[in-house]
Amino acid sequence: MYRKLFVLFNFALVAVLAYAIWRSAHPMWKVYQRTYYNMAADAMEKQAATIKDPAAAAKMREQAEDLRNTPLKIKQILTVFGGVDRCTTCHVAMDEFVNPTMKNDFTQQPYAAHPLVDGIDFNKTHNFQKYGCTVCHQGQGMATTAKDAHGFVDNWQKPLLKGKYIQAACARCHANFEHAKGMEFVALGKKLFYKHGCQGCHAIDGVGQTVTVDLGDIADKPLERIEPYNFSLVRIDGKALPKDQWTLQNWIFAHVASDPESFVVNDPLAKYNPQPIAPTGMVNWTADDASGHRELSEQDAAAITTFLLSLTHEQIPYQYHVAGIGPMPDPDPHFADPVAHGKYVFEKYGCAACHGLLGAKGRRNFNALGPGQVSLDQYAKLSDAQKIAEMAKGREPTLTQVVGTYDHQELVNKISNGVPEAAVARYNPDGPMPPLYMPAWKKRGLQGKELDDLATWLLTIGQSNQSQGGF
Amino acid sequence: MPDIEELKKEVVNSQIWRSIFRGGTWSDTPRDRANHMIGNVWMHIQPAKVRKRALEWTYTWGLGGISFFLFLVLVLSGVLLMFYYRPVPGLAFRDIKDLTYAVTLGKFLRNVHRWAAQAMVLIVILHMLRVFLTGSYKRPREFNWCVGVILLTLTLFLSFTGYLLPWDQLALWAVTVGTNMAGATPFLGNAGPFGASLMHMQMNNDIRFVLLGGTTVGANTLVRFYVLHCVAVPLLLGVLIILHFWRVRKDGFSAAPYGEVTEPKLDTWPNLIKREYIAAAACLLVLMVWALLVNAPLDVIANPHATPNPEKAPWYFVGLQEMLYYFDPWIAGVMVPNVIIVGLMAIPFIDPSPKGIGRYSFKERPFANTMFLLGIIMWFIFIFMGEFCRGPNFMWYWPWQSWLLQKPAPLATWDLFGPAGVGKYPTILGLALIGAAFSGVVLLPKLIKKNLSLVKATLGCAVGFSLVALILRYGAHVPLSHGAWIVFFGTFISFFGVLIPQRHIRHLDWARYLVTMILVACTMGLLVKICARLAFNIKYLVTIPSVFLNI
Repeated sequence: MYRKLFVLFNFALVAVLAYAIWRSAHPMWKVYQRTYYNMAADAMEKQAATIKDPAAAAKMREQAEDLRNTPLKIKQILTVFGGVDRCTTCHVAMDEFVNPTMKNDFTQQPYAAHPLVDGIDFNKTHNFQKYGCTVCHQGQGMATTAKDAHGFVDNWQKPLLKGKYIQAACARCHANFEHAKGMEFVALGKKLFYKHGCQGCHAIDGVGQTVTVDLGDIADKPLERIEPYNFSLVRIDGKALPKDQWTLQNWIFAHVASDPESFVVNDPLAKYNPQPIAPTGMVNWTADDASGHRELSEQDAAAITTFLLSLTHEQIPYQYHVAGIGPMPDPDPHFADPVAHGKYVFEKYGCAACHGLLGAKGRRNFNALGPGQVSLDQYAKLSDAQKIAEMAKGREPTLTQVVGTYDHQELVNKISNGVPEAAVARYNPDGPMPPLYMPAWKKRGLQGKELDDLATWLLTIGQSNQSQGGF
Repeated sequence: MPDIEELKKEVVNSQIWRSIFRGGTWSDTPRDRANHMIGNVWMHIQPAKVRKRALEWTYTWGLGGISFFLFLVLVLSGVLLMFYYRPVPGLAFRDIKDLTYAVTLGKFLRNVHRWAAQAMVLIVILHMLRVFLTGSYKRPREFNWCVGVILLTLTLFLSFTGYLLPWDQLALWAVTVGTNMAGATPFLGNAGPFGASLMHMQMNNDIRFVLLGGTTVGANTLVRFYVLHCVAVPLLLGVLIILHFWRVRKDGFSAAPYGEVTEPKLDTWPNLIKREYIAAAACLLVLMVWALLVNAPLDVIANPHATPNPEKAPWYFVGLQEMLYYFDPWIAGVMVPNVIIVGLMAIPFIDPSPKGIGRYSFKERPFANTMFLLGIIMWFIFIFMGEFCRGPNFMWYWPWQSWLLQKPAPLATWDLFGPAGVGKYPTILGLALIGAAFSGVVLLPKLIKKNLSLVKATLGCAVGFSLVALILRYGAHVPLSHGAWIVFFGTFISFFGVLIPQRHIRHLDWARYLVTMILVACTMGLLVKICARLAFNIKYLVTIPSVFLNI
């Protein structure tokens, strides 16, 4: 019996080892690479058939034959940033040494050459052999299987940036990109970010307010910091995300393209914690604005996401930081008219974050007082979901409605001193602390002429917009 | 077609073959076969003849040999991996990626190494279990059993040090959990009893600092663990393996009762060697198929600023991590493993019975087998609890429950002997209470001189605890489900902690009896505390701050 086992096991061992070696020697990239060489050779031979001069045609055929017989290998680019990108192993057309023109007629990936984007030849402006691929596209450059390389896998947190999202990578090196060609989308995102007052709560590298997290390195956010439970509640186009789409890009996008309260639910009724915790303080950007339009469209949300994905603390050597084209924005423009200046100040400090565009619509402040809330007696009889809905009716003041009750000096005082977190009146006294509050702006640099002109402007909107909705 | 037997003879008797393997022309006599073992440096580690019983598969299961074979596989695959690996944060992770994606057979090699390491831990534990159940630790093998226990400890340490090397999140945080326990060592750790107060231990001079080469897991830790993993521990392990094998051979190989008359023996060559070969081949086959089917895990690159939730130790230490839920770190992370190691080494010296050597026999050694199996089963149950029943925030999730399920925060815990009563004078009353309870359990079995009927006594205990549960139900409104816990654990602990020792070891001499009973009482205390926490949400039974003793 042992003799038989001896033979059997030895054969099995050799067979398994042979299989392991065979599998190691037959990765998918070899198929792609060989297919590319054959396709390129076919194209070359076709071209040779059209050439009249027989010597030149023969030479071209020879070249095609060489291409067909090119030995297969893992190609890698050691980038100037210290990365290793093996993307050209499959995307052979982007390897300068194989395809010096960097052009071909193939449309199918991974065989197609790099397209011109907005007429820009990227290999000329960003030589691939120098910069590699992942510095713009993200993904896992070291990987040699399509799934792992594209990065939608558990052990990689920076998967491919697709479509216009790739402009996020442009903005990491190109400063002042508002006027740069091909960066319109990220520029739009930046513009919307400031217009809608995001900096009123989120500072970027310390510039802006600190009501909540600084977004200066939001593109580096480790996914460990996001509760899987919250990810499971995210809905994009009404659908839950499959696990491989639990990416930072979708997390940020969901914050702008859907109501953040629907997935950062926290614990407002203290079911899981000793103290109630309000849902995220972030407002619903998909709600209608004062004129009945959706405040931010999906496109806008994608643009803002793109801008946020450009905010990284990854070290990029100074020589690769590029100043932009066109005029630098004036950090402190001069206004002759105090009213116009006041409006500028309102936008500069991100007041729209809480009070709405031009102060016309107070935004949600969970468990603060708001219009249409039922009395607490009735509240006690509601279901859990209804209770949360009642608390969610809490609103920040709509300035167009309330400034009329202030005079100039009172406004100045109110803005200077703010309303501390603990002094915000709660609708349900047993509910969570409302997440938003009025900072003491004198501590945050809003003073002097800016403050004065802001109050002047605010008094003008109260007179003209008395009838607008809100609280 | 040439005759294979003829050909074999020609080869074996050729000058080249005979120059390598000592001896004259091979005629397959017993003398030739013995010479084959004696005259070969590798074979000579085994005797020329072995008992027939030792060759039975169902006796040794080949576990010792498989452990050693796995060690050889690990050395070989480890050396090959070292060619590609640099122990520097960043580079280390990158080298693992290279192995996975660019090195020929690199992924396979890493998988084999990883799975062989996991298998070795398991097989070494099973080998210990086999040696215990066949009584093979008894005279004259006491010392070799102790060497074996050290080898087991080193195997765990070797696996643990290797855990850090890929430098991913899994590695960083598992090692953080593991080494934080070292910081709780009494006297030597800054967070341990008397560490800060008496020994002036701080974050930057205690034993954890020595292990990490810093105050957190970092570049120095990686180099330290690399050197420990690739050089220091394997060397020590190798030295002790030689010692272990030498004693195995000198103490009469396997299945030899002490001083018994000689049994019929068979030639080692080929009877044992062919079995060893088959065991090794089967083991390698399983490993290779395993390595082809399942990839070794690799998480995202280590990030000291982002803690995964939950963070878990390697599976073989998850049982100890589970203990952290019930005990202070210096007890869970330091005392429990040390008592286990010392207790294991004490076994041959507290068990003087010459019965049941060289065979599986529950009847001849009921007490030893019961207690040892209880310990092993507990160890694996705790691993199961920690690995499969703990979810985010280390809260209890049944294996079939999704971790996405929101769970209420645990209720506030309470202390059984709180600030009133005993808690008022914790040092005097608390120590007296613990001392009384502990010595009561330790002494009780020896003080009951009568022969008790096990069934009747167990039933009696069950009835007694049921009465307690009923009194609590109607006197103090303790729910019946809690009463069921009291009945079950009370009876369980009375059975294993009092009745079984009373029946089997009360005749032992005092020294052996006390050591045995202290180990038994510690095990039972562990169960009492776990029951108190899981069923009654009791954080501590007694707290004695003056000696840092909270149990």
